[in-house]
Amino acid sequence: MKKSILTLAVTILFIAFAQAADPAYIAAMQKQLEAKKTIENFEQSQTVTNGFLRIAEASETEWLPYYYAALIKTEAAFRFDIEKDKTLDEAMELAKKADQLAPGNSEITALQGYILMGKISLDPASRGQSMSPQAMQLLGKAINLDRENPRAVSLMSQMELGMSEFFGTGPEKACGMAKMSLDIYKKEETKINGEYILPTWGKTQAEQVVSKCK
Amino acid sequence: MNLRLLLFITLLLLQTQAFAQATVQGKVLDEKGLPLPGANIQIKGSYDGTTSEADGSFQFETENEGSHVLVFKFLGFKTQELPITLSPGSNEILPIKLIEEITEMNSVTISAGAMEASDESKSVILKPLDIVTTPSAMGDIMGAFQTLPGTSTVGNDGRLFVRGGDASEVGIYIDGMRVGNAYGTTAGNVPTRTRFNPNLFKGTFFSTGGYSSEYGQALSSALALNTKDLSVRSQGDLSIMSIGGGYSHTLANEKQSITASANYFNLGPYQGLIKQEVDFEAAPHGWDLELAAQKKVGKNGLLKVMARTESGGMSLWQPLPGSENRVLVDLKNDYSYAQANWRTILKKDWTVFAGISYSKNFDKINYDSLQVERQNELLHLKATAVKDFSDRLSAKFGVEQFLHPFSEKLIQEDWTRGYSDRESYLFTEWDYYLNKDLVFRAGLRGGRSSVSEEKWLDPRFSVAYQLHEQGQLSVAAGNFHQLPIENYRVLNMDLQNTASQHLILNYLFSKEGFTFRAETFYKSYDQLVTFEGLPESPEGLKNGGSGYARGIDFFFRDRETFKNTDYWITYSFVDSKRSFNQFQTEVQPSFAPKHNLSVVVKHFIAPLKSQIGASFIFNDGYSYTNPNLDNAEMNAKTKSFQNLSLSWSYLPKPNLIIHLACSNVLGRDNVFGYTYSPKTNSQGVFESIPQGQVAPRFLFLGIFLTLSKDKTANNLNNL
Repeated sequence: MKKSILTLAVTILFIAFAQAADPAYIAAMQKQLEAKKTIENFEQSQTVTNGFLRIAEASETEWLPYYYAALIKTEAAFRFDIEKDKTLDEAMELAKKADQLAPGNSEITALQGYILMGKISLDPASRGQSMSPQAMQLLGKAINLDRENPRAVSLMSQMELGMSEFFGTGPEKACGMAKMSLDIYKKEETKINGEYILPTWGKTQAEQVVSKCK
Repeated sequence: MNLRLLLFITLLLLQTQAFAQATVQGKVLDEKGLPLPGANIQIKGSYDGTTSEADGSFQFETENEGSHVLVFKFLGFKTQELPITLSPGSNEILPIKLIEEITEMNSVTISAGAMEASDESKSVILKPLDIVTTPSAMGDIMGAFQTLPGTSTVGNDGRLFVRGGDASEVGIYIDGMRVGNAYGTTAGNVPTRTRFNPNLFKGTFFSTGGYSSEYGQALSSALALNTKDLSVRSQGDLSIMSIGGGYSHTLANEKQSITASANYFNLGPYQGLIKQEVDFEAAPHGWDLELAAQKKVGKNGLLKVMARTESGGMSLWQPLPGSENRVLVDLKNDYSYAQANWRTILKKDWTVFAGISYSKNFDKINYDSLQVERQNELLHLKATAVKDFSDRLSAKFGVEQFLHPFSEKLIQEDWTRGYSDRESYLFTEWDYYLNKDLVFRAGLRGGRSSVSEEKWLDPRFSVAYQLHEQGQLSVAAGNFHQLPIENYRVLNMDLQNTASQHLILNYLFSKEGFTFRAETFYKSYDQLVTFEGLPESPEGLKNGGSGYARGIDFFFRDRETFKNTDYWITYSFVDSKRSFNQFQTEVQPSFAPKHNLSVVVKHFIAPLKSQIGASFIFNDGYSYTNPNLDNAEMNAKTKSFQNLSLSWSYLPKPNLIIHLACSNVLGRDNVFGYTYSPKTNSQGVFESIPQGQVAPRFLFLGIFLTLSKDKTANNLNNL
């Protein structure tokens, strides 16, 4: 009797927490993802980054919280007047943490390429030569890991566009890739439902590349 | 324990988890008690938490109750944990002070004497790419450094001269390992170059004094070159130049990479087209083979190996002052260098390094009928360990051993003489950050030499203080010892260390796109080698010389003001006098002009896909002894040295660079000194020959093509 009550108590405890964990995680992520959409200044971006980092602390095995924290830092470096180099370095650190939790993940690899693109844009003359191949390599790897990752293809098209503009070669290659990424984005959109917390960003950037094509 | 009770408590706990609401509020401050916005506050193990506001305050709601831990996190600050007991309703927490973590990024660095070239560090003076794109450098590492403060250009020598010191006073290191005979052997007034290709290196650290106790056997300067880490992709690089060509191939994956290269150069065809002032019998020529490999070892380890072998020579007619006769100088040089080093991070904040390097230089010189062979070998073993005790205190410990055999031989007479030195060193260096704006460094280096049978100890000290966000002040002082050059030691093995003391005060201002640096110094010289007779045949060598160098230098670099334009201006003033070599009185050495100016400008023209560059180097002339004036030493000075160089780099395709450069565009007839006949002519005058340039100008054309089966590109095409 005693034993069975103990078992029951433990079971209830377990079920209570096990059930609570997943929806709570999803809900917490969704709350931050909603907040992410409203970011207008650096302070707000820091608040949402912190939100994701709290989830990362509490759900130690999830890679997405670190991924989003890194992504928001990267976007902050592009958008706001802050110490860009330092912020991108911090973003890379967070992306590496995500990578340790989920090695060989195409989204994380593409994000690392995106962060490098940010680093290159700060000093293209002296960084381009050494870092462009690294960024291309990461994006190429991301595409190989998951050919249905539209962000990897879209970012690669941006790199190709930059190269073609610099060297005055035609944008055909960049255009083809950007269009391809838009097709993958369409496929991705069909998967998105109420509980979808995986990355969905980057379509506008692909459209911008396409707009430069004739 | 009653199990019914346990069940009851469990159910109760679930209830409270669902219903109880507590608010937590407080304030986050920094060390000085100022509000710290943006800190992350969280109940450990739960999603509940918030971010501190602009006034440092925070407030959040939680359904947790009872004993918990509140975690305060903020990047750049030490994480703090606070045990709390949460009760329903309001929970007010006392203000929390977060302590800033001292990191490489936010703390002051010692900049006295130091100049770094890298893509990463914040106190960057030069970028690796600058070495290749500085017009006057002609792709030589030392050429680029000759545009930096504290250096002077000696155009008929080519080596690096720092603050009144001669070229041997600069210690050259690759990945922390000493390089013997880093410059090519040369003859006459033909300037030499560094043996190593700038593309090997990812960054350099150049110090014009007061440097770390990690470096010894250099009175004036330490130049540390750091080789590249893993290559990112497999590729082939082809270079076709007006003076030769080469090919290099790299194979790379994520764990390891290897690069093999071969080069050949011969100035013969070029000199056939463009007239030279020097009468070459055989133009400078040579070939080299090089292998460099990198491999990741374990999680944090990196192993690097490099080996190089080369052979070259030249043959030229040297005129004699006051005579119709000429002397044929014939030079052959063989050189090999190999090194391996390994670095890894261990547990408990230890970083260890171990390295071995070996160089062997063989010269065969024919001067008229005199035939000499010289062989110089250097084996260097080194191990260091760095321990970070905290973010404030770190220490470095190191041990080094050198084996250094040298010999020279007169072929016809069959005379050989030589020595083999063993040198041992121990060093340690401690860094202590009082706070992130103030750092102290103290170091000690002890050494002994078997040939000179002496032991010595060099204490060194430096301080850096952050004055305001962009400006910092640093001071460095220390003792430095260096054994005399091999040619002198072989004549008198009792020669002891030469000695120098440095005192340096440095101000550095840096903000995005601008760098300004001012540095003043005093340097004493003691125990310098003096002798009787001429440098070619010295007699009675002893440690009898002394002197000083003092001065101030300024550096300004601006990448911001003019679009696509980057320029830097350097001015160095050096006042140096010393008794040394054949000079019995304290004189201004020929290699230490007083006023030195250099200006480098680079401008990128996007529509032309081109970078154009210009550099101008000036100094007020070299001192020399004119026996026709009086009996004094160094009683005359040449006219000023001026060199305007231009370059044009054109990038028509991502993988193709065409580089055109011309030195001394204006064709100024620079003179570096005069050679006098030993006896007067019939009019009672010592006849002279100017030591001039090899040619008024040097033209360089190079085509650099990268061939890559870029896997990423191929994969994309397959999509």
